Amino acid sequence: MIIPVRCFTCGKVVGSAYAEYVKRVSMGENPEKVLDDLGLERYCCRRMVVSHADLIKEVSPLG
Amino acid sequence: MLIEILEMEETKAKFILRDTTPAKANALRRALLSDIPKMAIDKVEFHLGSIDVDGKDFESVTPLFDEIIAHRLGMVPVPTDLDLFNFQKDCVCGGEGCPNCTIMYSLNKNGPCTVYSGDLEPLGSPDFRVKDEHIPIVELSDGQSVLIYAHAVMGTAKEHVKWQVANGVGYKYMPAVTVKSSANAKEVAASCPRKVFDIDGKDLIAARPLDCILCNSCVEVDGGKSVSVQGDDKNFVFSFETDGSLTAEKALMKAADLLSEKTKAFAESISDITA
Repeated sequence: MIIPVRCFTCGKVVGSAYAEYVKRVSMGENPEKVLDDLGLERYCCRRMVVSHADLIKEVSPLG
Repeated sequence: MLIEILEMEETKAKFILRDTTPAKANALRRALLSDIPKMAIDKVEFHLGSIDVDGKDFESVTPLFDEIIAHRLGMVPVPTDLDLFNFQKDCVCGGEGCPNCTIMYSLNKNGPCTVYSGDLEPLGSPDFRVKDEHIPIVELSDGQSVLIYAHAVMGTAKEHVKWQVANGVGYKYMPAVTVKSSANAKEVAASCPRKVFDIDGKDLIAARPLDCILCNSCVEVDGGKSVSVQGDDKNFVFSFETDGSLTAEKALMKAADLLSEKTKAFAESISDITA
């Protein structure tokens, strides 16, 4: 739906990293390097960003 | 118990705890996780009904439930000065909410737009502006709007994780990596998942022993002929991060203070019983 504010497992703030991750990966950067660069070290935080399906734009007109 | 700092960044710390026991290291871990107080948004008031902006009518409707927005606002790290604020229950106002125990925020946005944590306007000092301004809270489409008043209060993580300052708190036994022979240097160096070893000419060197995770892969390569790996249970490599509401340094100081306060109180109550 919308990127969670924090990592479910460890509680690190991941919400602000998602938009930059999507932008940089779509410009052709290596996802692994982008995640390292955003300070997402643990695999719990990395999966939050990597596996997120951003669907809020689909439902927001129906609000 | 001595602390030797290895890295100290704004929100990240790594240090060695010297001359201690596993119990004390764990006590510090638990103090960091659940005893440090911080401010977090706890009460959110939503304006209901239509909002008129320059002749255009907006409905206070969002694609997410109000509860979810309130929860997301709660998770946003709010900058905290532990000297300025009291717990609401101990405050001079008697728990009603006053500038000594509450930070008020307002949030007013009209669609189409994305509402970010940076749109939270503190009522009062601009020092309380949220530092991480790019956390999305909700997305609004045309004609939708939010008008919110949020109250941040002090709490600890024993009540809710939104009051948890430190995350990724962990420690390991201080690794002691000793090289006994360089006969199988290449195989041993390649077996290490953390790349602890360097090869200098033909010699095997444990270049980054602190990176070792005591997995014993290097020992298993040749049955322990080349290296031995031991965990030292009196020294610990400790690391943690904070969510940005407090700096790592302040969080560590506060945790240490709270821990010594608690142990003193415990010692006193024991001596009361035995006296």
